[in-house]
Amino acid sequence: MAKKILLVEDEENERLLYTEELEKEGFEIKSVADGKLALKIIEKENFDLIILDLQMPMMDGIETLGSILMKKRNLPVIIYTAYPQYKDQFLTWAADAYLIKSADLTLLKEKVAAILK
Amino acid sequence: MNPQDVTTFILAGGKGERLHPLTKDRAKPAVPFGGIYRIIDFPLSNAINSGLRKIYIFTQYKSLSLQRHIREGWNIFSRELGEFIDMVPAQKRIGEDWYQGTADSVMQNMNILEEERPKHILILSGDQVYKMDYKRMIQQHIENKADLTISVFEVPRQDAHRFGVLSVKDEKVVEFREKPSEPTADPKNPDVCLISMGIYIFNLDILIKRTIEDAKRTDSSHDFGKDIIPSMIGKENIYAFRFIDENKKDTKYWKDIGTIDAYWESNMDLVNLDPLLNLYDRTWPIRTFQEQYPPAKTVFSGEERKASVTDSMLSGGCIISGGKVTHSVLSSNVRANSFCEITDSILFDNVNVGRYSRLHKVIIDKNVQVPQGTEVGYNPEADRKKFHVSPNGIVVIPKNYKW
Repeated sequence: MAKKILLVEDEENERLLYTEELEKEGFEIKSVADGKLALKIIEKENFDLIILDLQMPMMDGIETLGSILMKKRNLPVIIYTAYPQYKDQFLTWAADAYLIKSADLTLLKEKVAAILK
Repeated sequence: MNPQDVTTFILAGGKGERLHPLTKDRAKPAVPFGGIYRIIDFPLSNAINSGLRKIYIFTQYKSLSLQRHIREGWNIFSRELGEFIDMVPAQKRIGEDWYQGTADSVMQNMNILEEERPKHILILSGDQVYKMDYKRMIQQHIENKADLTISVFEVPRQDAHRFGVLSVKDEKVVEFREKPSEPTADPKNPDVCLISMGIYIFNLDILIKRTIEDAKRTDSSHDFGKDIIPSMIGKENIYAFRFIDENKKDTKYWKDIGTIDAYWESNMDLVNLDPLLNLYDRTWPIRTFQEQYPPAKTVFSGEERKASVTDSMLSGGCIISGGKVTHSVLSSNVRANSFCEITDSILFDNVNVGRYSRLHKVIIDKNVQVPQGTEVGYNPEADRKKFHVSPNGIVVIPKNYKW
């Protein structure tokens, strides 16, 4: 069975791009546009991994990460953001990886594969 | 050591179920002790006597009484100088649960550490009675270049199986076992074991890393003693700090007053000639909140109707009016009326003992009127029908009880 990934990303173009690219790798992708929706959906569905943007409306990624941790303690999370400066926020240490967004998705795909292998 | 580099966390969420009914309406740190104190006054006084002025108190269950005590009695710091005592109730900032364990309270308040970024975090329990200079421990922590320092207490080997026992090599902690059947002895003295007092100094990054790591485990109870410390052994630089008692007696005093019997005994220790816990030493004062009351007073000195107080502690506002008080601890505003006899007992605020009543080995919580001619503590069977009676026969009458 395909491993299931939840993508939390407010930019629609990026959502579509990452979904398409990761589906090519054989993963099943669900995506939502903000942290609140992410917390709702993980209550109902099981995921193997979350890819999380940090700067989002409604509920930001760091707050979302903290709540994910309390709800689904061992669910792996990759932070995927354009901003390196959030690394000094302690809660980001709870993520399994902190990756900086890039046009080339190789690094993201490698990380996803490594965590889900 | 610069006290500004240290943030103190006092974990005050303890339910103290075995102290029921004293903990029916209050968290264990708010349980009265020694007439005028609450248990939390001890770690708080230790902290300020050690020069520590950045203090967070994490509360959870039944915290109203505790909050009131801290607000009324401990509003003594100047925030402008960077000093504070802040109460942190479980805010459910992240997640929707109450604190699940002691480590969870740190996890859920990570934002505090992010803002403060102290070099070291001193973690204390709000449940314990002792006098300790944390400066010495912090000093040793810095000198050892430790990641974590655990304060240890020496107990006779045969008692150690009830505690978390540490094994040390050159004072470095090499093993930690919770309630071991065969506890390892102290290399310096084969008759004793070193037990963890639940007092820790962490470096900031290690505390964060280990707390987050533990938060991600589903098989963890998220407790420092049970989960985090054991997971750090062998990986990090952990040292033991041998407790130095500021009472400076031959026998060291540190009590986690877990049961009614232990509670009664430690109060009774205070009325001995030379108690292990010295509350009268002005070099290590224990402070508290007290309402303003007039001085304690005794009246009637006739042959038959005569006030008598021996081997006892009387707090402000007490009136011993022709009653006899022996080997007892009385909180504020207690009245002992004519011909009553109070022995080996602990009476909380506003207890009024009626004429001819006799109390023996009784703990009476706040605001209780004992009717004229009542006897408690002389007939265990009758007492058991009405009240909680401890294994050693201490009768506890709950707060606001009405006859």
